Amino acid sequence: MRPGDKTRGGRRGKRFDDKGHNPRRHSPSGSHIQQSDALKDTRIQVRLREARQLLGGIGNPRPQPFKPDAFQLEALAALEFEDVLVTAPTGSGKTWIAREEIRRLLAAGRRAWYTTPLKALTNSKYQEFSDEFGAAQVGILTGDRKENTDAPLIVGTTEIFRNQLFDSLRGGNDVNADLVVLDEAHYLADEDRGHVWEEAIILTPPRIRLLLLSATIGNADQFAGWIEEVRGVRCGVIRRPGVRPVPLRAAMLLPDKRLLPLVNEYGKLSPEIAALAGSQKEKGKRQR
Amino acid sequence: MPEMPPATLLTALGTYNLLPAIVFLPSRRRCDQAASEAAFMRRDTNDQRRDQRRDFIRSFVEQYPEIRNHRHFETIVRGGVAAHHAGHMPAWKLVIEKMMSAGLLDAIFATATVAAGVDFPARTVVLTGAEARTGNGWRQLTASELQQMTGRAGRRGRDNVGFIVAAPGMHQDPERIASLLRASPDPLVSQFRATYNTLLNLLDAYGNFAQVREIAEKSFAHREAARQITALERATVETEERIKAKLRAANCDLSIETVRGFERLISARAQLLDSKPQTRAEVLHRWLDEVVQVGRVVAIGRSGKRLVLVTEKRDGNVRGIREDGRSASFALERIGRVYSPVYRLKEEFIEAAFEEMRRRGRELVIAEPRLRDVPEEESEALSLFDELIEKTIPTDFDQQKRTSCTETLWGLLSDAEDLERATRRTENMRAEVWQPFAQRARVLSSFGYLNFATEKVTERGKWLADLHIDRPLIIGEALQSGLFISLDFIRIAAIVAALTADEEREYGALELEDALVNSLAQFEEIGFRVSSEEWKFGVEPTPELNFSAAATAARWADGTEWATLVRETRAEEGDLFRMLSRTGEALLQVAGLRKAHPEAARIAAVAADAILREPVR
Repeated sequence: MRPGDKTRGGRRGKRFDDKGHNPRRHSPSGSHIQQSDALKDTRIQVRLREARQLLGGIGNPRPQPFKPDAFQLEALAALEFEDVLVTAPTGSGKTWIAREEIRRLLAAGRRAWYTTPLKALTNSKYQEFSDEFGAAQVGILTGDRKENTDAPLIVGTTEIFRNQLFDSLRGGNDVNADLVVLDEAHYLADEDRGHVWEEAIILTPPRIRLLLLSATIGNADQFAGWIEEVRGVRCGVIRRPGVRPVPLRAAMLLPDKRLLPLVNEYGKLSPEIAALAGSQKEKGKRQR
Repeated sequence: MPEMPPATLLTALGTYNLLPAIVFLPSRRRCDQAASEAAFMRRDTNDQRRDQRRDFIRSFVEQYPEIRNHRHFETIVRGGVAAHHAGHMPAWKLVIEKMMSAGLLDAIFATATVAAGVDFPARTVVLTGAEARTGNGWRQLTASELQQMTGRAGRRGRDNVGFIVAAPGMHQDPERIASLLRASPDPLVSQFRATYNTLLNLLDAYGNFAQVREIAEKSFAHREAARQITALERATVETEERIKAKLRAANCDLSIETVRGFERLISARAQLLDSKPQTRAEVLHRWLDEVVQVGRVVAIGRSGKRLVLVTEKRDGNVRGIREDGRSASFALERIGRVYSPVYRLKEEFIEAAFEEMRRRGRELVIAEPRLRDVPEEESEALSLFDELIEKTIPTDFDQQKRTSCTETLWGLLSDAEDLERATRRTENMRAEVWQPFAQRARVLSSFGYLNFATEKVTERGKWLADLHIDRPLIIGEALQSGLFISLDFIRIAAIVAALTADEEREYGALELEDALVNSLAQFEEIGFRVSSEEWKFGVEPTPELNFSAAATAARWADGTEWATLVRETRAEEGDLFRMLSRTGEALLQVAGLRKAHPEAARIAAVAADAILREPVR
């Protein structure tokens, strides 16, 4: 806990303590009352410790100057000589990698395509990149919007990009890009539209560098292995270590508005929650 | 556990300093209700951000005029809470997201299906259950879905810790939530499938099926199969080497092909012996199974009076059309007579078929096999096999070599069987990826968009390849039949909407004008022709037209105001927006066919303009 949070945290903590001290409210059944006082005290101690741990450190961090994470730099370095699949949760800085690589390419007079699965997302990326690199540098292509299509950076839906690949195969213009970013690449598993991502990956000429940004998936290595096979270009996997950018704690709010940690320090469901959950399941069964 | 009222929930979270929060609720309606209820209960709290919120929303009004009079405007300003789900307009959702990011909201009530990439994190994510609502009931959340939701807990740079809070709810299951939180993320699973569009584009690019097939075999889905195929091929080479070595050792200069041919003959002979029918019933069944075909007329019973035209035969059951036009379904065994002609299953031919039967059915009956024919035929076949087996060994081998090589061949049988099995499995695995493409190729071929025999895309197919929409074939046939140029832009917009809208969704119950009903009926007729052909080749039939979308799109294309359209249809704005936006995009695709269909393209462009006007963009 940082000093700035102390007063606030202390106050909330106290309220929580008050409730924690009342053993009757803590016992869903009479069985605990028969236990010895000493044992009861220990149990309360444990619970208090858990509660303090649960809410400790809550609050806002001091603003810090932006410093790229190691995995972001690693991804940028890898892009110099291979395709890259980045898997990390939303909001952990995948876009930063794409933006920096695009910045580098644009400065060198080269070109890039940035695809997203959604029109809304495409529009917001178009805005973001126009602000970042200047409106003249960025074009947009969606089902109903075509602007500045000769710009060195094109933002568009994956479908439109795949259609351009079809066109170039059928004797139209080559896809003029040195880098293709597939944002939300895990859309490959979308029942209706997933095949478009596969087609895009298979048909993108190997001379074009691929950067795939994906949510965390269970088979990243297998996915990258497949990309490597079909494109004949090495594909590295970069994962965000520690999985989450901000640590996560799980709690349960009880009907009486007490807040308990969902699991104890050993990763097991808190007994009180387990009892509550058990009775809920029982009721469900009886209703059936 | 009963669910906590939203205001109570937010107050409780507030006491633990757990705001702002995203509260996931199972339905759009519940989100809207929770937001207005919580806002009402919180309206008197002294929140200086109230004016900020009002100014914030107003700053977007110029860009997105449709948010000016949004029914949730005051709720949000006063209560600092909002609903966020697919029923809202994209612009409205965007403003909510930006407001959350600016720290002006205490809570958002959202459905579990918050679109990918929408980034509005909060300190706390609240789950009221471990299940998600589906079209028909409830199902458990998957690990990935839960991670997608909890991924929003904890704002980078603004929170030290993020929280996931299980709150009371009827479908709450803390144990399941705990275990899903521990679960590793779901693997990415390929959804590769064949589409007309991909097939036409690739075939036009490569000019032959082999190369299109090569692309299909590169899919992520096929990768596992491809691996197995490689392994099988490697094993095949090893088996062949083993066979060759054994042949050399026995001093028999026979080829692998001879060994495989020998194995095939032996196994065919064995099969013949196994399947030799014993009773008259079995003989009859086998015969019926052979001669009863789709398109043939059969008689139920021996009288020859109850005639049925066969439309389907599966697992010993037959379906067909009776003379009076009603359908019939019965077991193969009930058929007493089978007539030889095979008719096309088109309405105009069906009548003629029964007419011909009445006239000269007697001459056309296929003769039944007599029981004593069978053993004769089969012993003939058996002796033919024996002869062929005999001939496997070249005649110029002397007697001693014949004997030893025949023995060797028998000894190689199990190796040869391995080869055969591996070949068949490889072929099956290859066929699995390719078959859906081949089926679609046949459908396209029968409508003249490609030539299956020469493996070429026709002129007609070239423009169809440019229609990057879900069901290009129906649009293609509508263009081809002249339907498009017979309609005005309003009805063009309507039929395209009927095709592109979600099949199940209601877009209001506006009255359909007669002229529009007539166009839709014509369009449906085209759809039926396409579906019938698809059904014939095993392509899953296309979904039905959505008439309510057609009526709504027609009203919108006709110039109705957005507010009026929403009021009259009583549909959710977000649904209307998505349907119209997709309709507009499909119309733009047709408008792109300026060379092949100039007139239709022109009207489609007018229709697209009429659909893609503010706030549909």
